[in-house]
Amino acid sequence: MVSHSSSVTARNIRLLATPATILVLVTAIIPLVVLSSTVVRSSDVISIWQNSAVQNALVFSIWQALLSTIFTILIGLIATWYLTRYQFRGRQALIALITVSFVLPTVAVGASFIAVLPTWLHHSTFAIVLAHIFFNISIVVRTVGPRWNSLQEDLVHCAHTLGASSLQTWRHVILPLGKSAIYSSAALTFFMCFTSYGIITILGGPGLATLDIEIYRRAVQLGDLSGATVLAVAQMLFITIAFLIWSRSRSVELTKFRVVAVSQRKLSVAPRFFVGALTVLFLAPLSALSIASFRTGRSWSLSGWKVLFGMQNQRGLELDIWQALQTSGKYALIASCIALPTGIAATYAFSKNGSTNSRWSSLAILPLSISPVVVGLAILVTYDFAPFEFRSSWFLIPVVHAAIAMPFVVRAALPVVQGIPPELRSAAATLGASPWRRFCLVEIPLLRPAITTGIAFSMAISLGEFGATSFLTRRESQTLPIIIANLFGKAGAIPRASGMAASLLLVIVTGIIVLSVDRKPQV
Amino acid sequence: MSLVIDNISFSYGDRDILRNFTLQIPTGKTTAVVGPSGSGKSTLLRVIAGLLTPTAGTIILNGQDISCVPTHLRSVGMIFQDNQLFPHLNVYDNVAFGLRMAKADKRVIAERCQELLNLVGLTEAAKQSVTTLSGGEAKRVALARALAPSPQVLLLDEPLTGLDKELHDRLAQDLQRILHATSTTALLVTHLMPEAEVISDAIHHLNDGGRSPQVGASH
Repeated sequence: MVSHSSSVTARNIRLLATPATILVLVTAIIPLVVLSSTVVRSSDVISIWQNSAVQNALVFSIWQALLSTIFTILIGLIATWYLTRYQFRGRQALIALITVSFVLPTVAVGASFIAVLPTWLHHSTFAIVLAHIFFNISIVVRTVGPRWNSLQEDLVHCAHTLGASSLQTWRHVILPLGKSAIYSSAALTFFMCFTSYGIITILGGPGLATLDIEIYRRAVQLGDLSGATVLAVAQMLFITIAFLIWSRSRSVELTKFRVVAVSQRKLSVAPRFFVGALTVLFLAPLSALSIASFRTGRSWSLSGWKVLFGMQNQRGLELDIWQALQTSGKYALIASCIALPTGIAATYAFSKNGSTNSRWSSLAILPLSISPVVVGLAILVTYDFAPFEFRSSWFLIPVVHAAIAMPFVVRAALPVVQGIPPELRSAAATLGASPWRRFCLVEIPLLRPAITTGIAFSMAISLGEFGATSFLTRRESQTLPIIIANLFGKAGAIPRASGMAASLLLVIVTGIIVLSVDRKPQV
Repeated sequence: MSLVIDNISFSYGDRDILRNFTLQIPTGKTTAVVGPSGSGKSTLLRVIAGLLTPTAGTIILNGQDISCVPTHLRSVGMIFQDNQLFPHLNVYDNVAFGLRMAKADKRVIAERCQELLNLVGLTEAAKQSVTTLSGGEAKRVALARALAPSPQVLLLDEPLTGLDKELHDRLAQDLQRILHATSTTALLVTHLMPEAEVISDAIHHLNDGGRSPQVGASH
């Protein structure tokens, strides 16, 4: 399908990609280059790896990410199959739950699992893996789903008539046809788990720190900026290599799939049990979070909420939740105002003759491939010298949020932009519409669903962002996730209840924003 | 009789698609069922293949009741309207698919694939991706693939739909020749009488789910 009019020249492509390029340069590339070239003591390059805490963090990062990826893919593939091929009660609700889970604030997800799991499992690898499955299953469903949605029922029937059993059909037809999507979602899941920060901040503990946690600990708590930088650069290199491999298969994934309506069947007993268990995995932590916010110790109480909203005093807990809500809301609005036009313009630059211009699309997806913790550290180091002494300026935070959210805007807009038939633009032109009027009267109305999804996702990502914000935040302008992490860092039943209440508040706000624009999320 | 369809009924909810349909297909012959769209022709084939479960009736293949046998164990080959070639496999691997599922010996698979690709005139295209084939070539691959595991009966669902007139006529002749040469027991469903006349040995009319069966012969 040709989606671009001939008026989109190389010059226009560069022009459209400029805001995105500037955003990525300012928030990622320049800080990372500066980080790599400064503050590193040459002795640290080798010696840091001999430190046992670093070794443990590295081993644990890889180990928990591998385990989380394997289980997320296994459960995600089964879930995707049932969601794309079967009709059952609660299917739409389950899709909505899975969709929302991916944009839920990571610290709130961590808090939910603290609420639902027994105390002896609180700071365990099991809890971390379970939370990662909850958070990342959406990647598998959203990536492999369109592939399997377009798989015609008769192709499976055909394999059966050729003597293939159900297992053989899975092995020789269904899995190979989703192969690139499965690899792609496995790579992205591994990346998300490897750089997991918010979830580990809440669910981790002694011996359960990832490289990101170690970077933060060195930079902020130990003041070892040189060591933290060595770790950050090493992690960045590792991820860049993985990202390059991933983006190769990803360029295929960004193309559109023809969705064929399949005759959907009813679930039998075993699949029903699986779908039920999956619904419990998604509902139980959120329900437990609600309950835990009303409990202090073993009794029911409103203390958590009262302390949170300043209606009850608690020594050592001076919270300004209204300030945090205001700050989070302001950052979310600014981030979406930057991410949306930048992302949409970039999408036009990437769409070239119905396919994806891989050079530019790699650029837009770049912020997704760098750990937010590393971005936070890099910005902290870079914008600390005159005339760029911005590190204490509040506006850096929403700009970083916008850069993190931009790939999601591109993802939402790309299929829509590529799906606009070029004949529509031509028809409007023959009717006398200028390029600007064609854009306003034809393209914007068609882009509306992508615009609303883009706004919702940018706001949700900004509201929940924790990694970069934890480096850049100031006491007078703390966001909700920072307040939650601080609350869970304090001992006692009341801070814990307040942490649960704040997490629930964040989950509700994020859920409302995402579901209000994406009312019927599709696989 | 090779295939006996005995009083088969099938309904979707309240709608009867097939009602007490009965048909006998002799060994090594091709029988055509001709009827308009929506008369239940494709449903009939899917019931025989085990892809749909009939509400009543039995299917007997070479003396054995296969009504409850799962599709992959029925030894029933099928050519679908839009071929359904596996897009991730090349021509050779598509043809070899059924034999591999039956865990046939590699040498046997190679010989059988060679023989069938010869028969359909596609020896040169063995390593070609199926996504690059023309409509006629894809149809031939689908035929070779369905015949490869030597099914006891071959079902053909409107096999020549969507081809231009010249190609359609040529393939109809080829299909008749190949089915005859391999002595395959086949059931063809189509809405085109001339197609049925060229390919099959006997013609059965299906109107309104089998309530008014008539039998004729073409050869």
